Order: sequence, then structure tokens, then C-alpha cells
Amino acid sequence: MIVETGLFALILALFISAIQAVVPLIGASRNEPAWMNVDRPAAAVLFALVTLSFGALMWAHVTSDFSVLNVVQNSHTDKPLLYKITGVWGSHEGSMMLWTFILTLYGMAVAVFGGNLPPGLRARVLSVQAMIAFGFILFILLTSNPFTRVYPPPLNGEGLNPLLQDPGLAFHPPFLYLGYVGFSMAFSFAIAALIEGRVDAAWARWVRPWTLVAWCALTLGVAMGSWWSYYTLGWGGYWAWDPVENASLMPWLAGTALLHSAIVAEKRDTLKAWTIFLAIITFSLSLLGTFLVRSGVLTSVHSFAVDPQRGVFILLLLLLFTGASLFLFALRAPALKSGGLFAPISRESGLLFNNLLLSIAAATVLLGTLYPLFVDALGLGKISVGPPYFDSVFVPLMAPMILVMAIGPFLSWRRGNLKDALARLKLAFVVTVVTIAATLMIAGTSSRTLWASLGFGLAAWLFFGSLIEWTGRIGLFRRSLTEAVHRARHLPRSAYGMTIAHMGLAIVLAGITGSLAWKTEMLQVMRPGDSVMVSGYQLTFTGVDNDVKGPNYTASRATFVASKDGQFVAKMQPERRVYANPPQDKSTVAIHTNFVDDLYAVFGEPDGKGGFVTHFFLNPLVPWIFFGAVVMVFGGIVSLSDRRHRVGAPIRKARASPHDSSAEMAHLKTTAVKRMENKILLRGWVYLVPLLAFIVMAGFFIHRLQLVSEGDAPNFIPSAMINKPAPAFNLPPLLVDRPGLKTADLKGKVTLVDFFASWCVPCRQEHPVLRLVTQAGIRLVGINYKDKPADAKAWLAELGDPYQAVAVDAHGQTGINFGVYGVPESYLVDKNGVIRFKQTGPLTPEVLREKLIPMVEKLKQ
Amino acid sequence: MKPRFGILSAAAVFLLFATDMHYAAFAVEPSEVLANPVLEARARAISSELRCLVCQNESIDESNASLAHDLRVLVRKRLLAGDSNEQVKEYIVARYGNYVLLKPPFIEETYVLWFGPLILLLGATAAIILFYRRRTGQSSEPTPLTDEERRSLSLLLSKSDEKEEAR
Repeated sequence: MIVETGLFALILALFISAIQAVVPLIGASRNEPAWMNVDRPAAAVLFALVTLSFGALMWAHVTSDFSVLNVVQNSHTDKPLLYKITGVWGSHEGSMMLWTFILTLYGMAVAVFGGNLPPGLRARVLSVQAMIAFGFILFILLTSNPFTRVYPPPLNGEGLNPLLQDPGLAFHPPFLYLGYVGFSMAFSFAIAALIEGRVDAAWARWVRPWTLVAWCALTLGVAMGSWWSYYTLGWGGYWAWDPVENASLMPWLAGTALLHSAIVAEKRDTLKAWTIFLAIITFSLSLLGTFLVRSGVLTSVHSFAVDPQRGVFILLLLLLFTGASLFLFALRAPALKSGGLFAPISRESGLLFNNLLLSIAAATVLLGTLYPLFVDALGLGKISVGPPYFDSVFVPLMAPMILVMAIGPFLSWRRGNLKDALARLKLAFVVTVVTIAATLMIAGTSSRTLWASLGFGLAAWLFFGSLIEWTGRIGLFRRSLTEAVHRARHLPRSAYGMTIAHMGLAIVLAGITGSLAWKTEMLQVMRPGDSVMVSGYQLTFTGVDNDVKGPNYTASRATFVASKDGQFVAKMQPERRVYANPPQDKSTVAIHTNFVDDLYAVFGEPDGKGGFVTHFFLNPLVPWIFFGAVVMVFGGIVSLSDRRHRVGAPIRKARASPHDSSAEMAHLKTTAVKRMENKILLRGWVYLVPLLAFIVMAGFFIHRLQLVSEGDAPNFIPSAMINKPAPAFNLPPLLVDRPGLKTADLKGKVTLVDFFASWCVPCRQEHPVLRLVTQAGIRLVGINYKDKPADAKAWLAELGDPYQAVAVDAHGQTGINFGVYGVPESYLVDKNGVIRFKQTGPLTPEVLREKLIPMVEKLKQ
Repeated sequence: MKPRFGILSAAAVFLLFATDMHYAAFAVEPSEVLANPVLEARARAISSELRCLVCQNESIDESNASLAHDLRVLVRKRLLAGDSNEQVKEYIVARYGNYVLLKPPFIEETYVLWFGPLILLLGATAAIILFYRRRTGQSSEPTPLTDEERRSLSLLLSKSDEKEEAR
């Protein structure tokens, strides 16, 4: 009953969101207060309904109601309560519910705090918010209903992926979504402003705190995800430039740019079109991330619930929201008048420079993430874009930004004095040089330490530059101490926020630099009693406890004693866990941190001879990365607590309100629109570029989705061996009474070389087709790939042996030379021993009929 | 090696996160490690730039797939045979194509990828320079109000004055 209530509430919410999307919008354009005022109650009701629905789903999870499919698929009675709750968003359906819940929460916030917003603006903002909510609720109801029942209900559920049963990951999605969805506020305000055709300082002052909230949440969400990956996956790393990670980084970069351009828009009444653009782009990148992650258009190591059908729906939402808003932007933005002028050297310019690099960084991540898809769609082959690409383009973009980050705050608005600013940074410069020199002196001058010294130099520059800016503001060392303290106390919190956040980034930068430069890794087989040295630490393996029982798993726990110079440092106990539901292994890392270095231990499989594989890392400065991220978030929160940022602080002056219901006002509006139209004709085409770029991108997505839904795996790769001679090999026979196979045997007649193995499930499916191959008069030979000969013989005895010769490739070396990446694969070799065709995956009668036989006919001629 | 063509089955579709990644800690096995630390370091560097073909976006250095293991061993064999890093990569690319390179090669197909950020940077810089120029041009000569606008403005002002007085 509760479950049906949840579904019913969600359906009702759909209708409410439709009302909230339409009525206030019409009210605002017709200036009907009664219609406009529907917005706040509607937002409250919408929030209440979605909360009810979300609560019902949570209830089903907490009470383990296995008549609900979503609970069956993601829960189990033996799961600890915490993970029953957080498991709600462990599935695609549940996470979309969380998304929608947070979205309506933000809408509710506008309703609560928006009492002093101009009614027209508020009505439009809430209308746009409701449009987004409508789209997502419809998406849930049509494609991802979490309330679907199963009959008969199973006795128990399938359980949650053990990797998700972890506090770091349990709370990572809510923060991430608070961030992603939080940017919908800036988006809605941007659309409202475009509809109104005006952006003023009050607008920016409203957008700033919401953007800051979203930014803090996203920063924390990304940091948490990275931290989780670091301490649970046992690979010693924290960032892999995977599409799913990039999907969270792109809105972060754009959102950070937005945060800074909104300052200019508020304080100097300029860069308004740009700020609006960033607001649209930031939220669009959040949506894009959702699309990329869930549609299956890209391959990612984080395999989400990938479903092309859902992908189509999210793409539609993306097209609708981003397309429409970019269209509106192209239409209206040219007419946005900018106010304050500024010189090329000024605070504004510094922030503009920051925006430039941040947006290009975001664009680069987007380009790199989507490039394989573009190249593939254009028929230019398959390529990969991985970490080495991102590393090599990201660093040159970020380094100048960090250089300027320290200088920018010293420049005054309108017109700054660069010389003066640099003079005040003298001390920071000295510290930077000392840092670089000290790094090189201590660590030597290899190319790696050279890079590291530059990284540390930049971090020091930013850290001390920010510190000096603060001391300069409060007049420390220049004025009396009491006055400095007095000034420090009265310095606006937003100023503190900036200083802290910038210093946080400096800490992150130092952490990344250190971890990249001096990571040490030891991999070995150890028996109890063995010791190994890891960069100054001695780790002694004291033993294994094989009977560790957790709430829903059993584990083997190893104990290592870490010591340094004979002094006990820590006891480390990594585990290898086996979960019962679902039956999966998970390795639990042991980390000992002294806040400078992390000693990181992973416990692996037994080698069968009394030893165990163990893996140790010394990760220098990694704790700083996460600490720095927390400092950044803290800076954001401090800034948010500034009185001036408190939501609703500004009230637009009544005289400036465009919602005056006088006829003169309407007249003024029409003239404004006319002027606008003239301007669009003149130079509006520039504003069309984003829309056009987006349309092109969407075209690629549609194409890709089509391929994916037709069953094309994104990691299916064409062979590099086509039209090349078959590689040299000489393999022994599988069966004693039959010949083996060597390259020369392939010549003289068109031959199909089939790689197969008895452990390969699709090979069984392929096997009957092989008879058809021989019946078609094609010579067929088999290469038994990485198999046990006995198994292979049994397999052939059971299914029949269609091959003229069967050779054994015990270690897969010949397979690699052919370019085999997964059996079954078969290669058609012509009379001259040249490979002409490759079938990846099982041969089917269709492939045989439509491709193979015609090709053989051609080759015979 | 896992059978590849069952991966798209419905069961896998419902997994949420990295199910392939939890063995990653033991991608490289102790038996693979070369005795010579310099060669081993080179092997690690090379294998972190080669994509595992059967995995979802991992390098062979991070993957526990059987083919990744074979390729890691192969990389080490080639190094022991005296190949340079580039030669090792070429060896693998000859068999599997450019797809295996996580750092895409600089070829016609990737010009946009490699030059893209630079072109964006130049374009944006040009746009900003234009922006400054236009704005300084604007500042010297503000557009005068049209008669119509003047009329509306005075109407507006008088109206708001009335309001002010009404308070």
C-alpha cells in the first residue's frame, strides 16, 4: 500500500509540476498576480509529493519489501541498515528518484527564501524548475519506475554490489546530485532572465549563493568519489580520467567559472551574457554527464545501469533543455546591455582570464571524452583517449590559471596596477623560488623532480600569494596589531572564503604533485614472517585470520606490522572479503596516514604454496588532496555565511521592476524588443555558435545511440591485420594423429582460421556454424586458444570436429600476433596467406552467407 | 578470460559500479615483475599507456583480465629483447591498431583532438581582445537616446516619482 502511495504521489507530482511549469509562466507574461502566485504553493506541494514518493521507496528498502522489483535487485535482509537506506540510490531508478527529490528541494528553497524576489522573476524561475522536474518525473515513470512489483515475491533479494556497501560511496551520490542539481538554480535564473530580457546586480546576487551551494556540494561529491576510489579499489590511485569521472569534472570546471563570473556580474554589472551562458552550460554539462553515464554511448570502468532506451529519453531531455535554452540565449543574449567598463589589467580581467582557462579546460575534457565517439561516427576508425592525453593538455591550461589566481585578488576593479600587485607578491615569489630550489636539492634533478618542483612552486605561489593578500587587506605588519586584528574581524566573510578556497586548491595541487612524483610501490609474494621495505618503512607479515565474520560477509584478514628505524609505527589489517549476496569479492585496503604520507596495504590471493600476494604503496601527500578539497569546501561555506550572500538579501527597487502594469511599461518593452531585434541582425550570429555546436554534438549522440541499441558494443574494435600477411607461427597439433599448423600451411587455398576454446561460452554457439563453413567448401582450421588440451579434446569429442587441422596456442602468443582479443574469432586468409576478413565473436549463418561466402568467391577468382 | 559476448546480457546491465575494478590492485602479478628495476619501471610506464582490449576503459597495467596479463608479459619480453619503448608500442599497435594507445597518436584523425584546446585558446583570446576593443569604442561615444525612449523615460520617471510621493 505504501509503495502504491509512493507511485501515486509521483504521478500527482507530475501533474503538479506541469501546473507549476505553465501557470506562473503565463502569469508572469500577462502580469496576472493570481497566476504568478501559484508558483510557491505549487513548489511546496511538489516537494511534499516527491518527498512522500521518495520516502515510500526508502520504506520499501528499509523494510525489505521484496514484492518491489527495485528492492529485490538491490537489497538483501542481511544488509546493514545504513546500506538499506543508502541502497535506495544504489540503483538507476533510485538514483533518479534522489535526483528529482533534490531538484524539488531546491524549488522549495526558492519558494521559502524567495519572498522578496520580484514576483515575475520568481514565477519564471520556479516555472523553469518545474519544467525540469516534469521531464525527470516523466522519465522515471515511463522508463525507470522504482515501484514496479514482482509476483510472486522472492524470499530474499539479490543484494547490493559490495563496492557500494561503503560509507564513502553511500554518501557520495547525494552530494554529487546536490551539486549537479544545484546548478539547475543558476540555470533557471538564467532562463528567467533571458525571458525577461534583463540581468541586473540583484539577479547575480541571487544566483551567487545558489551556485556556491552547488559548487560546495559538487566539490565535496567529487572529492568523496575520488577518496572512495582511493581507499576501496586498492589501486593506489584517485583519479583515472574515466568518462564517468570526467562527467563530474566538467560541470565542476564550468561551475567554478560561473561562480567567478557571477561576481563580476554582481559587482560590476558586466559579463552578463557570459554569466548566463555559463549558467546554461554548467547545468547542461550536468545533464550531459547523466546521459553519458547511463546511456552506454561510452565505455567506462564504472558500469552504471546502461540502457540505450533510457539514453534516448535523457537525450531528449538534454535536447529540450539545452537546445531550447541555447536557442533562447542566441535570441536574447545579444540584447543584454553590459554595464561597467574595465581595463585589460583589472580584477574583472583577472576573473575573465580564469573563466577563459576554466571553460577551455572543461571544453577540453569534453573533447577528449567524446572524441573517440566522433572519430568512430565519421568512420575514421577507433581510437582511445586516456589519462596520458588529459594529463598532457590539462597541465598547460591549469598552470597559467594558478599563476594568475595569486595575482588577481591584488588587482582593483576597473583598472588595476600589475606592477604594484607583483611588487606586493615579492615575498611569495621568493618562497616559490626557495620551494623549487629546495625540491630540486632534496630530490635531485631528474625530469620527474623538475616537474614536481614546478608543481610545488606553483602551489607555494598560490598559497603564500593568497596569504599575503589577506595580510595586506588587514594591514598586518603595516599597521598596529590591534588595528590589524580589528580589521581581520571586520573583513567580509566572502573575502575569507576566497582566501581559504584558494589556499585549499594550493594544498590539493601540492598533494597531486607529490603523489605523482614519489609514489612507491612494492608487489610481492609473502609468507607469514616475511618482511619487506617500502620507502623507509619495514612491513612484517605476522599472519592471516581466515575466520573474520562481518554482518554479511566473511573475510581473510592479514596483519602487517609497520615500523620505521626499528620503532613500531602501525598495525595494518587489509582484508579480502567474500560477500554472500551478491556473491562477490571485495578487497579492503588498510591505510596508515601521518597526514603527509599514506602507507597503503592490499592483501591478495594465496599463491597455493603458503604465500600470499601483497601490494604496498607509499603515497606521498595524498592526504593533502582530500584535505585541500575539504578546505576548499570550507572556504565556500565561509563565503556562503557572508551576510551579503544570505539568500534574499537584496530587494530590487520597485522603480526598476519591469512588472509595472502600466501601458507605458509595455510600450517601453516593445521598443526594447525592437532594439534587441536590430542588434540580433547585426552581430547576433556569434551567439548562435553554441547552439550549432550543440546540435552537431546531439547528432553524434543520436547516431551513437542508434548503433548501441542495434547491439554494437562501444569496445568492439576492427582488426589491424586486414590485408596484412598472416603472422608467422608454428604450432603443435592438439590430436596426435593429426597435423599441427604453421603459416606456410595457410597458403594455396582460401582458409578460415578459427580461434576457439572449450571455456568460451559463445564458441559453443558458434560450433554448429563451423559445419556450414566446411560444407560451403571453405578450408577450416582451428587454433585452440589458451585451453587445457584434455578439455579441448573432450569438447571436440562431444560436439564433433569440423577442423582440417587443430593446433594448440597454449599461451595465446599466436593469438596476440593475429590480434585476437577474445574468442571466438576467425580470420579469412587468402591463397597468398594474406588476412582478408575477420569475424569478431561467433560466426553466424548470416555472416557466413552475406559476408564470408561472397568474399571467398571473390578471392577464388 | 571471461567470455566477452555475454557481457551485454541483462544481468550485467543492472550492476551499478565498477565490478571489474576490485581486482585492479592485483593487475600486475608478482611473477610478471622483471628483476631489473629500470626495465620494470619502463614496462609499467608502457603498460599504463596501453588499453586493455577486453575491459571497460582500463589500461593493461590496471586490468586483471587474462589478455592484459598476456600483453604485460609480452611488453616485458620485448623490453628484454632490447626494444625501445616506442618499438614495444609499435609492436602492439601493429596487431591491435591505434585503439590500444591511451595517448592517441598524432595523426590526421587526431589533429582536432590535439590542436583543439590550442585553437579554443587562440579563438577565445581573439574574442576577448575584440571585446576590449569594442568596449573602448563604445565608451567614447554612448548611443544617444531616441526621442521615443526619451518620452518613455520621462513618463517612467514621473510615474515612479508619484509612487515615491504616495509612500
